[in-house]
Amino acid sequence: MKILIIEDEPGLQQSIAQYLMSEGNQCSLASTYAQALERLELYDYDCILLDLGLPDGEGLQLLNYLKRLNRTEGVIILSARNSIDQKIEGLRLGADDYLTKPFHLSELNARILAIVRRKSAHGERHIEFKEIRIDLDAKEVLVKGKLVYLTKKEFDLLLYFVANKGKVISKSAAVEHIWGDDSDMADSFDFIYTHIKNIRKKLTDAGSGDYFQSVYGVGYKFMEI
Amino acid sequence: MKLFTKYNIILMAISLFGLLLIGSLFYRLLGYYLDQQIDHDLVEEIMEVKEYASEGNFYQPHEFEDLVVQYKKIKKANPSSSYADTIFYNPVKHHKETARYLKTELELLGQPYQILVIASKTERQEQIQNICLIILIPVMLLFALVLLVNRILLKKIWTPFEQLLKNITAFNINHEVPYQPVEMPVAEFRQLNKVLVELSGKVKSDYNEIKLFTENASHEMMTPLAVINSKLDNMLQSNVLGKEHGETLGELYKATSRLTKLNQSLLLLVKIDNNLLQDREKINLKSLIEEKCVYFQELIHARNIHVEFALTDVSIYANQQLLEILINNLFSNVIRHNYDGGQIEIRLDHEKMIFANTSHHPALDPEKIFDRFYKDHASEGTGLGLAILKQICNRQHYLLHYTYHQDLHTFTITFKH
Repeated sequence: MKILIIEDEPGLQQSIAQYLMSEGNQCSLASTYAQALERLELYDYDCILLDLGLPDGEGLQLLNYLKRLNRTEGVIILSARNSIDQKIEGLRLGADDYLTKPFHLSELNARILAIVRRKSAHGERHIEFKEIRIDLDAKEVLVKGKLVYLTKKEFDLLLYFVANKGKVISKSAAVEHIWGDDSDMADSFDFIYTHIKNIRKKLTDAGSGDYFQSVYGVGYKFMEI
Repeated sequence: MKLFTKYNIILMAISLFGLLLIGSLFYRLLGYYLDQQIDHDLVEEIMEVKEYASEGNFYQPHEFEDLVVQYKKIKKANPSSSYADTIFYNPVKHHKETARYLKTELELLGQPYQILVIASKTERQEQIQNICLIILIPVMLLFALVLLVNRILLKKIWTPFEQLLKNITAFNINHEVPYQPVEMPVAEFRQLNKVLVELSGKVKSDYNEIKLFTENASHEMMTPLAVINSKLDNMLQSNVLGKEHGETLGELYKATSRLTKLNQSLLLLVKIDNNLLQDREKINLKSLIEEKCVYFQELIHARNIHVEFALTDVSIYANQQLLEILINNLFSNVIRHNYDGGQIEIRLDHEKMIFANTSHHPALDPEKIFDRFYKDHASEGTGLGLAILKQICNRQHYLLHYTYHQDLHTFTITFKH
């Protein structure tokens, strides 16, 4: 996939690029409104990551530009402000998602995949990983055609890991993915362990391989053995 | 004690003391003057006695004069005279009266006599009393009038001051309305009013600046936090990390997450302070609580906590976002501070909502628990959860109470009060 990263903070820009490139994506970088505009005039992208607080112009203007040209790129707003008004305004101007800083790269990656999947013409509404098939519309998981019953949180967690397959996901990222930021559940870190254990058990019981790996006690990785 | 009452008491005490002092002085002076006059009359009577004697008669006064002249033979006359007060039997009125006498010894018709002239004081005394009354009554009346006028006047003068007091009391740093100045007819009050207007303006702008500072500082910290987070995420992908480094990464993640949470909570507090979440809608509290219970169910089950519900179907008008945060915080609180196998009680009726939990902690200080950053050392929370609860309740005009009873830490939110 081709992704344009519009972000003026070099440290963050570089980290995002590194993570996404290791997933096999092509990343273009822009640090200013002008650079971003130049790139957008020249190339098409699958997804655009847009920081709203650019030094030389409002990020929202870029959304206007894209909308005027009827561009189909998926846009994810990255903002330091968790403001509902800004979120609504951004989505109204055609953004597809809104991510508040700080975020985990695995979360960003999962959201990019979700948007691209939604936007793509053939619209694959299911994901397959070896013998596991995840139906996104019905929110069902099938192992070798057999339905595995997962709770809503377990389903979300599995989808999150599959989207970031081969990557280590920290417990911190997993907790935030499930609980969001409005619940103050810092000590539910170890609780993720229980969730993963349950998912593992349900999948292996249904005849799937065990693809979860614990990494240094910090997080988990979902990968082919 | 009110200024007015205090002032009146002092004024009355001084006036009463003064009145008594002046009154008694006046009375004594009049009495002295009266005695002088009577003494003068007595001397005149003696002269009359002498005059009569030179004509060879003993003088006897008329009946209407309230006067008695007594003659007593003595052996030898000493030319001396003395005045004094006495009581005598008035032969005309047939009763005893206070009187004044003059005793002197004289040679009358060639014989030495002791002559006693007694004059009644009653009438003159009555005159004094009348004079005193005539003066005292108007003075008392005047005094009462002054008090009354004082009262009315002071009340009128102090009315704007009382309004000012009311306005200061009503002034709230968190509210949009500024301090309401009062029209002041008195210079000192006008100055006070002016000072208050300036002071409240300064307090408000300082407070807003602090809020703005907190907001900006928190926002500014989000980007560096995002950098740290993303660097950690990339570092975690490295295949060459040892166990030790892994643990360090874990600690870094935890610390970053806490810092993030802290920032988010501060921003949320500012947002609630600034009254940015105002839209109200009808919210069914019962279904909200049930929904949140499902949201937290894994945490509750994992710790084997027993939840007891007593929910009435209650809908209230409130801000959806604030209420969700409220319930979230209450749930987080009762789960976090509980022990495995503990208990949670949730009650809801039209007046109040109660969240209670068992805990290893002893009773908390109800004065302090809603303060920002109040927490025990073991807690991994931000110390802002309960402060946010309090702030939301303030905004929604609910009463928030903490009690500890029968091993249950109980948080009660009263909707109407």
